[in-house]
Amino acid sequence: MRVNPNPMPDLLAALNESQLQAQKDLLQIASGRSVNQPSDNPTSAALLIANNDQATFNAGYLQNLTTINGTLSTADSTLGSVVTALQRALTLGVQAANGTLSDANRAAIAEELKGIQSQLISLANTSYQGQFIFAGTVTGTAPYTADATDPSGVTYNGNDGVNQVTIGNGYQININLPGSQVFSAASNNVFLAVNQLIQAVETNTNIDGAVGGISSAATYLSAQRVFYGNAMNQADSQTNYLNTAKLQIAQQQNTLAGVDLAGVATELSKTQTDAQATLAAIARFGQMNLFDYLK
Amino acid sequence: MSGLYGTLSIALSALATSQQALETTSNNVANAHTPGYSRQRSVLVPGAPVSFGPLTIGTGVVLDKIESLRDPILEIQLNQETQQQSDLNARLTQLQQIETHFSGSSSGIGADITNFFNSLQQLAPNPSSLSLRQAVLTAAGNLANDFNVTANNLQTQRGNLDQTVVQDVGEVNRLTTEIASVDQQISNLENVHENASTLIDQRTNLIRQLSGLIDVQVIPTDNGISLTTSNGTALVSGGESFALSTTLASDGTQHVMSGTQDITAKLTGGSLAGTVQIRDEQIPGLLNQLDQLASGLANALNTANQAGFDLNGNQGGNIFVPPPVGGSGAAISLKVAITDPALIAASSDGTAGSNGNIAVLAAVHDQTVVNGQTPLDYYSNVVFQIGSATSNTSADVDASAQILQQLNDQRGSISGVSLDEEAANMVQYQTAYQAAARVVSTVNAMLDIAVNLGR
Repeated sequence: MRVNPNPMPDLLAALNESQLQAQKDLLQIASGRSVNQPSDNPTSAALLIANNDQATFNAGYLQNLTTINGTLSTADSTLGSVVTALQRALTLGVQAANGTLSDANRAAIAEELKGIQSQLISLANTSYQGQFIFAGTVTGTAPYTADATDPSGVTYNGNDGVNQVTIGNGYQININLPGSQVFSAASNNVFLAVNQLIQAVETNTNIDGAVGGISSAATYLSAQRVFYGNAMNQADSQTNYLNTAKLQIAQQQNTLAGVDLAGVATELSKTQTDAQATLAAIARFGQMNLFDYLK
Repeated sequence: MSGLYGTLSIALSALATSQQALETTSNNVANAHTPGYSRQRSVLVPGAPVSFGPLTIGTGVVLDKIESLRDPILEIQLNQETQQQSDLNARLTQLQQIETHFSGSSSGIGADITNFFNSLQQLAPNPSSLSLRQAVLTAAGNLANDFNVTANNLQTQRGNLDQTVVQDVGEVNRLTTEIASVDQQISNLENVHENASTLIDQRTNLIRQLSGLIDVQVIPTDNGISLTTSNGTALVSGGESFALSTTLASDGTQHVMSGTQDITAKLTGGSLAGTVQIRDEQIPGLLNQLDQLASGLANALNTANQAGFDLNGNQGGNIFVPPPVGGSGAAISLKVAITDPALIAASSDGTAGSNGNIAVLAAVHDQTVVNGQTPLDYYSNVVFQIGSATSNTSADVDASAQILQQLNDQRGSISGVSLDEEAANMVQYQTAYQAAARVVSTVNAMLDIAVNLGR
C-alpha cells in the first residue's frame, strides 16, 4: 500500500499539539489553579461558585460573631454593675429600716439612693458603637429619661423590639433584651423599686416593703443577665464550629481547583521532551530521497 | 511501413514518448509540494499494429494519456469533513470568547450575588450604620454593573458576528464565481478531449475553500459540476454562479438570502453555519438567561425591600429600577434605583434600630426566583452549560481534526507526489531514451551500409 509521501503536515500538527499542552500546563502552574476557564472542568467551575458563597458567608458569620460578642459582653458587664448597685441599695435600705436612725441620717441615705438611681439610669442608657443597647430597636435614643411625674421616676423611650442576627446557615440568635423587659417590666420594674425605696426612706414609711422590692429586683435582674451569658456561649461554640468549617471549605476549594504542582511540572517536562523529539524528527525528515543518490 | 525506415520510425516514437513521460515526471517533481496537486502518470500503450499479409507488426509506443490520480469519493469525504471542522472551529472560537465572561469564582456575577447577600448579613448587627448600608448599595451597584458589562459584551460579540456573516457571504460569492469560471474552462477543454487536469485540481481546491465557509454538495453533470447547499440552494450550475446576498432582517441581524429565500437557519456546515448558530442561538439564549436572572433577582429584592421600613421610618421602595416586564433586556439595563443608604428597608417595625426586614431581604438568596432555582444555582448552571458547550465543542474539533488528518493522509497516499517514485521513473525513462537512441544509431549504421551497397 502506498503511503502518504508528505507527512510534514501531520508532524507539524503534532508539534502544535505539544506546544498547546505546554501552554496549558504553564498557565496552571502560574495561576495555581486547575480551573481557569469553565471549559477546563465545567462541573468544578459550577461547584466553585457555591464554594465561594460558602466561604464568603462563613467569613461573614465570623465577623458578625465578633461584633455581637462586643454588644453582648458590654450588656453583660453593664448588668453586672447594675446588680452591684442594687446590692448597695439593698444595704442602704436595710440601714434605713433601722428605727434608730435620725431624720438627717435617713436624708443622707436617701441622697445616696438618688445617686444610685442616677447611676442606674446611666447604666440603662449604655451604648455600644453608638447604639443604645437596652432601647429595643429605638437604638438612636437614650431609653431612659428621669421623669418626676412617673411613679418609677423614669420614662422609657424605647420599645420591645428584639433583633436577631444570623450566625450560621439557618441559625439565628437574639442579640438584645429591650429595657422594657430588663429594667421596666410590668412584673418587675427595677426603677420603680428604687424610686419606691427612695420615697419610703424619705417619708419613713414601709421601708421594709420597699427593701423587699429591691431584693426581688436584684434577683430578677440576675435572671435576665443569664440571657447574655447564654448568648455568648452560643456565639463561642459557633465561632469554633465556623473556624473548623472554614478549613473544610478551603479544602474543598483546593480539591476542585487546586493544582498538583509536582504532577503538572512533570507533565510539562514530558511535553517539552515530546516537542523536542518531534522537532528532531521534522528536521531529519526532509533530508533524504532518491534524487540524492542519483549522480 | 516496412524495412529500416519502419524501425527508425518505431525508435523515434520511443524517443518522443520517453521525452513526454519525462516531462510529466518533471511536472510532478515541480509540484511535489503544491497544495491540492494530484500527481500525474503517463500512460504508455503500444501503437496500433499493422498487418503485412500473415505478419502483424507493432508500430512502437504511444503516449495514450496523462492521467491524474485522484479519488472522487475521498474528495467528497474531505469536503464534508472540512465543512464540519470549519463549523465547529467557528463555534469554538466564539465560545472561548464567551466563556471568559464567566471565568473565576471569586469575581463575576456569581461572586457579586454572594457579596451582595453577605453585605446584608453584615448590616444585621448594626442596621442603622450608614457605612454598612452604603456597603450594601455598593455591592448592589457592582452586581448591576457586571450584568450590564456582560450583556453588553455579548451584544457586541453578536454585532461582530453580523459583520462576519456579511464578509463570509461575500467570500462565498467570490469563490462560486471563480468556480463557475474554472468549471466552464474545464468543460471547454474536455469537449475537445484535452487534458484539464490542472484546472480540475484548481476547481477541487476552490471547492475545498468553499467548504470551509458553507455546506456544499458537488453533483457531477453532463456539463461540468453543479454546486448546491445541502438544503438545495443553487450555488453553481452549468458554468454559471448564483450569488447569495445578506439583508438586515426585522430582528436586527444580517440574514443570508438566496434571491428572496432566507436560508440563514438552513445552513448546516462551514464557518457560516457555526457563526450563525452562535449569533442566533447560543448568544441570544445566554442573554435570555442573564435577563431572567437579573429580573428575577431585582423583582424579588424590590418586593422584599417594600415589606420593610427604611431608616426614616417610611415604607421601603425599590432597590433596583424595576426591570422590563417579561425580563427582556433586564441584564443590560439593570440599575440600582437608590443612592441614599437610608432607603434600604432594614427595619420591620419602622424604628431605625430594627433589623427585622434584613432577614426578608437575605432570604432571597435561597428563594427560587428564577426558573424554580435560587439565584446562585441558576447562575452556576449557566456557567456549567457554557463550560460544557465549550469543552464538548473543543473535543469535537479535535476529533474532526484527526479525521481530516487521516483523510488527507489517504489523499496523499493516492495523489501525493513521492520524490523517490519520480526519481525511479526518471531513471526508467532516461534508460528507455538511451536504448531507443542506440537503436537509432544502429539503424543509421545499417542504412549507411545499405546506401553504399552498389559502390
